[in-house]
Amino acid sequence: MLVNSEAANMTETAQAPASTRGFQAADLAVLGSVLLAATGHIMIKAGLNGAASAAAHGSIIERLIVYFSQPYVLLGLTIYGLGTAMWVFAVSKRDISYVFPITALNYVLVTLGGKFLFAEVVPFKRWLGIAVVIIGVALMQSAGREGSR
Amino acid sequence: MTATLALWISILLNGLAQVLLKKGVGHSSDQGRVPASWWIALLKNVWVWAWGLSFVAATALWLLALSKLDISYAFPLLSSSFILVGILSRVLLGEFISWKRWVAILVICLGVILIATK
Repeated sequence: MLVNSEAANMTETAQAPASTRGFQAADLAVLGSVLLAATGHIMIKAGLNGAASAAAHGSIIERLIVYFSQPYVLLGLTIYGLGTAMWVFAVSKRDISYVFPITALNYVLVTLGGKFLFAEVVPFKRWLGIAVVIIGVALMQSAGREGSR
Repeated sequence: MTATLALWISILLNGLAQVLLKKGVGHSSDQGRVPASWWIALLKNVWVWAWGLSFVAATALWLLALSKLDISYAFPLLSSSFILVGILSRVLLGEFISWKRWVAILVICLGVILIATK
């Protein structure tokens, strides 16, 4: 993989741009935004689970008030917002055609969170999907961060 | 508006939103760390506002569609936004996408479909 990406860099310019070297803040921001988005989703879900019985009756407005007054829902939304800020930063540093597909890791994390936190059953096919997404993200890395412009 | 139409407009807007964001924030390959003024400038950036509005509209349409459609039908279709962003970034932003990157995008789509279908 390393050999491939280095070869790709050499075809661009004699001096590779800074962003093609090593693991940088932008890469950390991509993973961070995915992790925070997944954590946010899981916390919102935990908050909604807790509020399900309290919100069983009442109008849509009343239910929304119950949902948005759950501490876990508010915390989840805050974390999700932080993840969005990280995402904006990451997008400014990388091709959108490179970073956007990597957000599919979100499905992987949410599935794992569902299994380990909410004891949801994960069928074999979904485990297979998780493996395929991870292979795809690895392929994306080996294909290189920068297309030639 | 039918639920299926709402779903596809939602997927289209979601993909478009990412390309609008990229248009707004530009491309700098320097090291991390951006000054506070960079974030403040984003608030005055019309492309960033277009991203925000598209994202909100896409989410609203998504919820509307989900209230009518089975999630196991709607969710796999979301993966098409990865291909859509590839095409839009090529056409609207001039990003070069190598065949290897296309393969990676398609593999990720396949994985999402496997995760999302029953």
